[in-house]
Amino acid sequence: MNRFKNTRTILMVLFALLALAVPALAQDGGEVTADDVNAIAKKMYCPVCENIPLDVCGTAACDQWRDEIRIQLEQGFTEDAIISDFVSRYGDRVVGTPQDPTLRALSLVTPWLIGALVVILAGFGLLRWWRGRGTRAALAPAGAPASDDDYRARLERDLQGRR
Amino acid sequence: MTDVNLPFETDEPAPQRGFRLGLGSVVLLVGIVLVAVVFGIALLQRNQTQPTAGPAPDFTLTTLDGETYRLADLKGQVVVINFWASWCGPCRVEAPALERVWQRYQNQGVTFLGVAYTDTERGAREFIAQYSQTYPNGLDLGTKISDMYNIQGVPETFIVNQRGEVVEFIMQQVNEAQLSAILDRVLATGA
Repeated sequence: MNRFKNTRTILMVLFALLALAVPALAQDGGEVTADDVNAIAKKMYCPVCENIPLDVCGTAACDQWRDEIRIQLEQGFTEDAIISDFVSRYGDRVVGTPQDPTLRALSLVTPWLIGALVVILAGFGLLRWWRGRGTRAALAPAGAPASDDDYRARLERDLQGRR
Repeated sequence: MTDVNLPFETDEPAPQRGFRLGLGSVVLLVGIVLVAVVFGIALLQRNQTQPTAGPAPDFTLTTLDGETYRLADLKGQVVVINFWASWCGPCRVEAPALERVWQRYQNQGVTFLGVAYTDTERGAREFIAQYSQTYPNGLDLGTKISDMYNIQGVPETFIVNQRGEVVEFIMQQVNEAQLSAILDRVLATGA
């Protein structure tokens, strides 16, 4: 009976310790760090300066936005939800690229399209130069080719006419 | 017979070489024109400045209290549109002056509209509470109003007369005497 009582006491102490430990562990796992905030902030841009990512910006406005991200993370919002919320409140400039699928596609595809165009043009130019080189080589008078009788005859006729 | 190469005349007509553009040249020209258009538009947008005269761009502001104000509906009144932000130092300096002027002129046909630029709701509410501002204030959602007025920063203040025209633009923090003088003049002359 006494041994049973001791076991029960030990178990109760263990449960009590466990009950204390669980919230502490949960709090540790749910804590929002500066790295968590910056991971999202680096995908956004300073609202009052040009082309400076939010994670490295030192203005008061950026501090306030980073604080807002931290609060939303603590409230359990996902990265996408936070970015969408900022875009809806402050516009597309927040993320640097438009959120509208069509505009986003255009802004992402256009540079590649221009690159491809340049490559195609360069290819065309190279091809034309190559073909032109071949033609020039064929037309170039490399002495008087024995097989080119027609050319020789025309040259002779012309020289005869001049005499 | 000679091996000398001389230019010779033939009876064959010389081939006509008209002005003809290849596909590559056409594509290149189109590309150059497109780039010029894009840069031109960007330059025009960059050179756009705040309206200092003429009709004030119309907008609708939803205040933090949930009320809605449309500028076009405020014709007949003088409207002071103040762009501010809670993170802006000069805005904090001018806030008490704005409230005092509002208190003095609110019954003389003057409306104040505070537009919070890229501000958080929490920050804006704290600012309003701290400076006991009682005139309508709201967030500029999507920075649409700021874009319409091409603001370059905060604070910036526009005075709109009874006909809905911008008659004054102040690109710095306002003070009580300055704002009062402008309002007296606009109320008296409409300009």
